[in-house]
Amino acid sequence: MSTNGAVWGRVRSRLRAFPDHLAACGAEASAYGKCVQASTAPGGRLSKDLCVREFEALRSCFAAAAKKALMGST
Amino acid sequence: MLRPAVLRRLSPRLGGFAVPAGCGSRREVASGVPPTGGTSPRALNIFDRELKRKQKNWAARQPEPMKFDYLKEEVGSQIADRVYDITRDFPLALDVGCGRGYIAQHLNKETVGKIFQTDIAEHALKNSLETDIPTVNVLADEEFLPFQENTFDLVVSNLSLHWVNDLPRALEQIHYVLKPDGVFVGAMFGGDTLYELRCSLQLAETEREGGFSPHISPFTAVNDLGHLLGRAGFNTLTVDTDEIQVNYPGMFELMEDLKGMGESNCSWNRKPLLHRDTMLAAAAVYREMYRNEDGSVPATYQIYHMIGWKYHDSQARPAERGSATVSFGDLAKLSDVMPEGKKQ
Repeated sequence: MSTNGAVWGRVRSRLRAFPDHLAACGAEASAYGKCVQASTAPGGRLSKDLCVREFEALRSCFAAAAKKALMGST
Repeated sequence: MLRPAVLRRLSPRLGGFAVPAGCGSRREVASGVPPTGGTSPRALNIFDRELKRKQKNWAARQPEPMKFDYLKEEVGSQIADRVYDITRDFPLALDVGCGRGYIAQHLNKETVGKIFQTDIAEHALKNSLETDIPTVNVLADEEFLPFQENTFDLVVSNLSLHWVNDLPRALEQIHYVLKPDGVFVGAMFGGDTLYELRCSLQLAETEREGGFSPHISPFTAVNDLGHLLGRAGFNTLTVDTDEIQVNYPGMFELMEDLKGMGESNCSWNRKPLLHRDTMLAAAAVYREMYRNEDGSVPATYQIYHMIGWKYHDSQARPAERGSATVSFGDLAKLSDVMPEGKKQ
């Protein structure tokens, strides 16, 4: 078992910053959400990687926001 | 004097029970047997009760437990309102799955003489809220109440029965410990609870990973609840639903609050890992599909309030078949009969 919970604490603190990074990527998140929501309409069919392009855009924006936060704090 | 009795299936390793000494005392009594396989043919094992106990203990030991208590406080006050609506006083009451005891703080000594609070998490009982009713805190599982038959005038339950493995058995236990003409006033989460979170996670997981696993625990449907209460032996049932919508900044804050309430998932079939990509996707979907105008996202909690009575001769019963003295066909003649009485 863990001794002082250092790794857990680090992982959790990264997770706690998720909402801030997500807030910085509102447009990409909205595009991805719209794509998934469109598949729930009658006649649509949600399958794996249906919205992969929008998600990759969201992920790169998110990673950039996270990196900026990391750079900014050091 | 009250003497908690040993249930039939108690394991021999438990020690004796302590007799409650007086007003305001706190005695911790060992809980009943943890559910082992094969105790009853219809026993279900959906939830890991040991993990739920750890989660509730963790939640109760947080630096600011009252930060996450808003939902249970609100429903606890609604339950207390319903207890006040019953024009009776209850010398002895039981709070099943009390958490930190959200109902007792709203009740007064005239309505409830003494209250026993039970929960599976000892830290929640240790940090229970202040109340002026004399309380006894008992460490007990909702399915294995260590009390004698016909003990309590009132049993209340605040949002804890949705984690019970064998709900019919728990309701039967509650019926068992009630006195004749005793009443059970309870609240539990309903089928539509957190449907936004469930849908977002399902859609995101399907899109990201190709399939999805349940992350929200299953809830009882309102029809089934009525049947369960009837099967447990309760009379004169009342079940009504209420919806509480709470707005959160985003999905992550909602999940953090659920963890702080001690409501994290503990079903055996839960997937232990939620990928960060999936979390990100689900948060984006949640925001897009359900957000309010001001940018916050709502979470719906559907609460079923139920009231059931234990049978007593003094309670009203439906009349015997064939005992009618007036026929429906005489309704037309009612207007001839009535004016006689109205000339006063």
